Amino acid sequence: MPERLANRLKDRRGELGLTQAELAEKVGVTRKTVNTVENGIFTPSATLAIKLARALDLSVEQLFWIEG
Amino acid sequence: MTERSVSERADFLSRRRARTLPALAIIYFAQQATFLSALGNGSHRDVDHFKIGAWVVLSAVLLLALVTKGFWFQPKEIRDLIDDESTRANRLEAMRLGFLFACGAALAAYFIDEFQPLTVGEAAHLVLTFGLGAALIRFGMLERRAHRDA
Repeated sequence: MPERLANRLKDRRGELGLTQAELAEKVGVTRKTVNTVENGIFTPSATLAIKLARALDLSVEQLFWIEG
Repeated sequence: MTERSVSERADFLSRRRARTLPALAIIYFAQQATFLSALGNGSHRDVDHFKIGAWVVLSAVLLLALVTKGFWFQPKEIRDLIDDESTRANRLEAMRLGFLFACGAALAAYFIDEFQPLTVGEAAHLVLTFGLGAALIRFGMLERRAHRDA
């Protein structure tokens, strides 16, 4: 089974009461990019992963992990 | 009327592009039907020269829209936001497919030329039409998928 990058973006965003658009604005991308990362369609760059983790007050390892 | 934020505006324009590009690509392909049916004739009437001129202009505009950030009349901050990293990844994937289609069209032109001689212009027309058209459709599809909620 191929490896994939799983994440808890949606759960964490929900915990903090943020919409996709609000999170996107915090990290300087479009809502579409947050949506694709959240759904596992797009694997973010290291830079974006760090920005997302910071915006959600988690470490990158807590936000993303490898499955498979 | 409420003022839209930069990110809302970027999202709106990005969605519009995702809807528009595949439609433009289909129109672009449809316009080529008459050209492709006359392939190998070599000679062109005056009206054909006009059509080919329009095709060259349309091709250049679509190519620029694909390879640049597009939305040339929007403020820089919106243009930069629309061209974020998932968009750039989608564009690269679309251009990879476009390159493969262009190579396929070049091979097809080579074989067609064995039976029905083609001019350089006709061969270039084939390569550009299929390469650019495939890239536009793929980019539009990837962008539409990216906007779709799970």
